[in-house]
Amino acid sequence: MATKRTLGIISTIVSASLLAACGGGSGGSDNTKADGQLTFVAYGGDGQKTMEEVWQKPYMEKNSDISFVNTSPTDVAQVKAQVEAGQVKWDIIATAPAAAEQNCGTLFEPLEITGVDPEDVVDQAIGKCYTGNFINATPMAYRTEAFPDPDKAPKTIEDFFDLEKFPGNRGMITNLQNGILEYPLLADGVAPDDLYPLDMDRTLEKLETIRDVTTFAPNVGALQQAVGSGQVDIFTLSDSRIKPLLEDGVDITVVWDVTVTSINGFAVPKGSPEKKNAEEFMAWVLGPEASANISEAHGTAPISKVAKPNLSEEAKKVEVYGPVNTGETVLQNIDWYAKNFNEVTTELQNWLAG
Amino acid sequence: MTAWIKRQRLSPLWLLLLPALGLLTAILLIPLAQSFVRSIGESAWTSQHYENLFTDGVTLTVLWRTAWISAVVTVVTLACGYPYAYLMTRVGPRMRGLLLVLVLIPFWTSVMARNFAWILILQRDGPVDDFFGVVFYGTATGVTIAMSQVLLPFMVLPLYSALSGIDRRLLLAARGLGSHPVKAFWKVYWPLSRGGVVAGVILVFTLALGFYVTPALLGSPQQSLVAQLLAQRTTQLLDFAGAGALGMVVLVVTLVLVAWANRVGGKVSSLGIVPTTSAKEEE
Repeated sequence: MATKRTLGIISTIVSASLLAACGGGSGGSDNTKADGQLTFVAYGGDGQKTMEEVWQKPYMEKNSDISFVNTSPTDVAQVKAQVEAGQVKWDIIATAPAAAEQNCGTLFEPLEITGVDPEDVVDQAIGKCYTGNFINATPMAYRTEAFPDPDKAPKTIEDFFDLEKFPGNRGMITNLQNGILEYPLLADGVAPDDLYPLDMDRTLEKLETIRDVTTFAPNVGALQQAVGSGQVDIFTLSDSRIKPLLEDGVDITVVWDVTVTSINGFAVPKGSPEKKNAEEFMAWVLGPEASANISEAHGTAPISKVAKPNLSEEAKKVEVYGPVNTGETVLQNIDWYAKNFNEVTTELQNWLAG
Repeated sequence: MTAWIKRQRLSPLWLLLLPALGLLTAILLIPLAQSFVRSIGESAWTSQHYENLFTDGVTLTVLWRTAWISAVVTVVTLACGYPYAYLMTRVGPRMRGLLLVLVLIPFWTSVMARNFAWILILQRDGPVDDFFGVVFYGTATGVTIAMSQVLLPFMVLPLYSALSGIDRRLLLAARGLGSHPVKAFWKVYWPLSRGGVVAGVILVFTLALGFYVTPALLGSPQQSLVAQLLAQRTTQLLDFAGAGALGMVVLVVTLVLVAWANRVGGKVSSLGIVPTTSAKEEE
């Protein structure tokens, strides 16, 4: 009898707490949310730690009424779920600008950024629903061990696709921000200025020629790991991931022929109560101090044209807009990606999985 | 409510199911229903999302690949697990404990740790490459090997549970009546173990169908399985309806297979637990 009663009590407690969790739990946390507390979502790991260090800390020192709650990983599907449920918990998310533009006004807040001179920031740095935070370059590079003789090493993006002259495993990131659609066209003779609109058929046809020897990494971390452990010989990898590899003593030669760069950004999920505070923080990130901070830490290019980062030896080796880059650069066209994102993602993924 | 329970001749003890039912409804049934509603169009009925699955040229390929790899994994785990579980029933308690721990250690180890270990073993210049000169990292074979190891406990445990309940005197009786040992095994032992086999096969196969981490880490986009396709449709394309349709198809296929396996293998009641006589009588 005693056991029965205990079980009854337990089940009552469990069902009551369940009901509480389903019913009012999520609504309650919104009320307790402090004004000026920004929920900040990025990609996690060391990258986000750096953002806390070089962006949030100095910003909080200047603005004592602002604080940050960090969470990860950033995920537009999660934003969609939050917006649809009317329970928006995130205030600033790191995202591809194209994703913010594609869902501008539906999933993301249209922004009013003030106090930033457009002349001081790079092209496309401020969009309708995003602001840039840094520029990632994804240069072609190789493990020096794989091609020890500089005369016989790959020198152009054409060489990346030349399996006869330059045998070896290739590595590319399938994320559209890392040039997987641009490099095949550039290697096929398309001039950097004529890239957009991208010719998808031609891109996939060119990719097909290296399909069997290429590791298509689903994220930058996977390719960084593959390069570090010698799984791939020639690759296109983000500057922010080449830098730590260089620091770890991996011998990498960057090929400065033509390099695809892309703007990374922040966006504000639709309905965030902290929109105003978020916009102010994002405007500050566009400034020279924040730009220099992140470039020094990540080795990425600054979004502010007036930033004066003090770069380390390794960061200088991947400085895409610096003296080391003797080739050309192509900045990805955010508008084109915003309009064609779903279509080209599907085409690429179907080609990969098929 | 009470009247209904009385009519159904259910004891009030069934109320104890309420917490579990509440939990299942909240975290499984309601989201599942929502997902289904999305997949057939929220405002107007549409079969578009289902038609797309069969016409986009890639979903069927991936579904087929997933089913094939899951089947291979099931066969491999059964081939490794059956003799192992049999051995467990034949050794002393200390040895049995050791064998059990050997199965459970990987079970207790983080899935991530196991998968990263497999990356190291199967990658270029890893031990397998050094020894056999073949790189399985990024291939369907590599994914199959790792999945088989990860899923082995799900085969061994129900098998052991079933095999340990078999009365070995029946084998003696068969031998005593002049049967060859192999025939005695095949005619007496195997049929009695079928419940455990079916339980293990269903568990492993259905878990394999939904595997995400192992193929994502050890495989490659060229070898995507259905969970990767689902993740991509949800997180990159925000196509909740299309992903819902795909999820529904996988769910239905799984349920059909489970139902079929149950018919072939006998009673569901043997899902990992050997039916006792009293349980049978109650039915």
